[in-house]
Amino acid sequence: MTALLEVANVSRSFGPMHALRDACLTVERNSITALIGPNGSGKTTMFNVITGYLRADSGHIRFDGHDVTAANPAILYRSGLSRTFQQARVFAQLTVAENLVVAGGFSWAQLFGRRVGRQDRKRAGELLDEFRMSHVADLYASELSYGQRKLLEFAAVLMSKPQLVMLDEPTAGVNPTIIETMERHIRQLHAAGITFLIVEHDMNFVMRLCDPVVVLDQGQEIFVGPPGAVQSNPAVLDAYLGA
Amino acid sequence: MRAPRGIGPARAAVFFGVLAVLPELDLAHWLLNMLVFTLMFAVMSSAWNLLGGFAGYPSLGHVAFFGIGAYAVVLWFQHHAIHNGYEPFLLLPLIGVGVAVVGLPVAAIAMRTRADVFAIVTITLLFVVQTLAFNLRGLTGGAQGASIAAAPFPSATYERPFYDVLLVLLAIAMGLTWAAMRSKVGLSLAAVRADEDKAAGIGVRVQAVKLLAFCVSVGLTAMVGAIWAYYQGFIYPQFAIDPLITVSIVLMTFLGGRATLWGPVIGAFILEMAQQYLAYSLGGSQFYLIGYALVFLVVMLLMPRGILPSIQEWLRRRRRRQVVDAPATPSGGLRTADTPLTPRRTAPHVKETRT
Repeated sequence: MTALLEVANVSRSFGPMHALRDACLTVERNSITALIGPNGSGKTTMFNVITGYLRADSGHIRFDGHDVTAANPAILYRSGLSRTFQQARVFAQLTVAENLVVAGGFSWAQLFGRRVGRQDRKRAGELLDEFRMSHVADLYASELSYGQRKLLEFAAVLMSKPQLVMLDEPTAGVNPTIIETMERHIRQLHAAGITFLIVEHDMNFVMRLCDPVVVLDQGQEIFVGPPGAVQSNPAVLDAYLGA
Repeated sequence: MRAPRGIGPARAAVFFGVLAVLPELDLAHWLLNMLVFTLMFAVMSSAWNLLGGFAGYPSLGHVAFFGIGAYAVVLWFQHHAIHNGYEPFLLLPLIGVGVAVVGLPVAAIAMRTRADVFAIVTITLLFVVQTLAFNLRGLTGGAQGASIAAAPFPSATYERPFYDVLLVLLAIAMGLTWAAMRSKVGLSLAAVRADEDKAAGIGVRVQAVKLLAFCVSVGLTAMVGAIWAYYQGFIYPQFAIDPLITVSIVLMTFLGGRATLWGPVIGAFILEMAQQYLAYSLGGSQFYLIGYALVFLVVMLLMPRGILPSIQEWLRRRRRRQVVDAPATPSGGLRTADTPLTPRRTAPHVKETRT
């Protein structure tokens, strides 16, 4: 396997607090990598730095062979790196279908074209069918349940045909049915060649789905390995599982 | 909410048709005058709605551009004779485009801020322009005011040309709004309004659509300012750049419903006509302001989201109630295709615009 994403010695501080300290992370192509760690260990900061929402104080990030340390989120998004947020961020005043269309991106020429054109409908419709959300396509996103919003956000990131999808706590606050649906889609998309990096607190979900598992503690990675080994690693147990 | 196919154009045709024939009914001058001002505010509210409603940038400085448009037409015709009454109207597209261009760098700076900070920045702009109008005496006449030759229209039909031009301008403003709503410009603006950071993060052309909305909005506002100046014949800085004009167009847009096609127009027709009527009825006293405020308060108490969105929401709920009770789904669970929330339509189910 070759690395799709490489984070090398990245640091990021907020005032006196060091959220990331020379942190390293490698995501191999076509893997489902988990990023776990106790609260405040720097997982979400790592996500924000990788996706350009925060600038790293030092260190380097390479995505698909290119240095993207200073790239902005839009450039990364267009180059195939998509993410979801810990709290689902959907466009509440747009319909479900429009959320997908806007996430699909469009050129300058298309900017003055129809709000939802024929091609847009086709693409959005296919994805909504896959996610069994066609029946809510016409609803405003604000009318969806939280779990459905999470699912919509997940579906929306796929509109950009990403190489790497980063999911920030995809199962947080959603019911088992939707967790199952998420898991099924991740497996299907992984089989289709999409790479995943997942921040997650649900250990059962991580153990079932992810390999390798990267454990972050106090802004540094303390373990990288298969899910079986993480459960017996003393450093992890000490830092995260509290055994 | 999207109107059934054909209803939208029919509604517009009836609306503009009625307004086009109204002056033929031999209306009293005060009534036509009231309609002229109502149309002015309808255009300005529609223009403001492009920025404050669709993009979510609540400008409180729009009247600065109204004033620039007013002074532009006055200054031009201080140095050029008016050969026929319609000449100043021919200048309107030039004023609109010119002010839109002037607005571009202003927007590029002001729109680096958001929400309340943006509102404060635009208020500052308003007072800067007003101060300039007071102090650039050589150009604007300062507090002494500036005049334009009286429009050479017969007194019996004096208001008519202004009314007709404003009606055309309202059609243009609403046409542009409609086009924006139906295009990806509107979709992008809605994304910006909902979550600008996320919109930027997924590659929406945030800056471009924001600047476009700002420039079109201030260009239209400046054109109204130019018509107003020509209608008045004499302008003073405190009236040409009056904060109350901005306040009025914001109130009208909120009253009718932000980010809708008809909301600002409805708001303008209610509030401006109420204000003018109460002012005529209650004479020179300021009591009319109390009546004006009451109209606004009553509507906002009954319909806090504005008239049109409240009606749309009510219709939406009513339609939902009419749907056959669907089997219960697990709490927060994904509803299945067999338990729709709304009546099913032919696929794909894509809502396009709110009207």
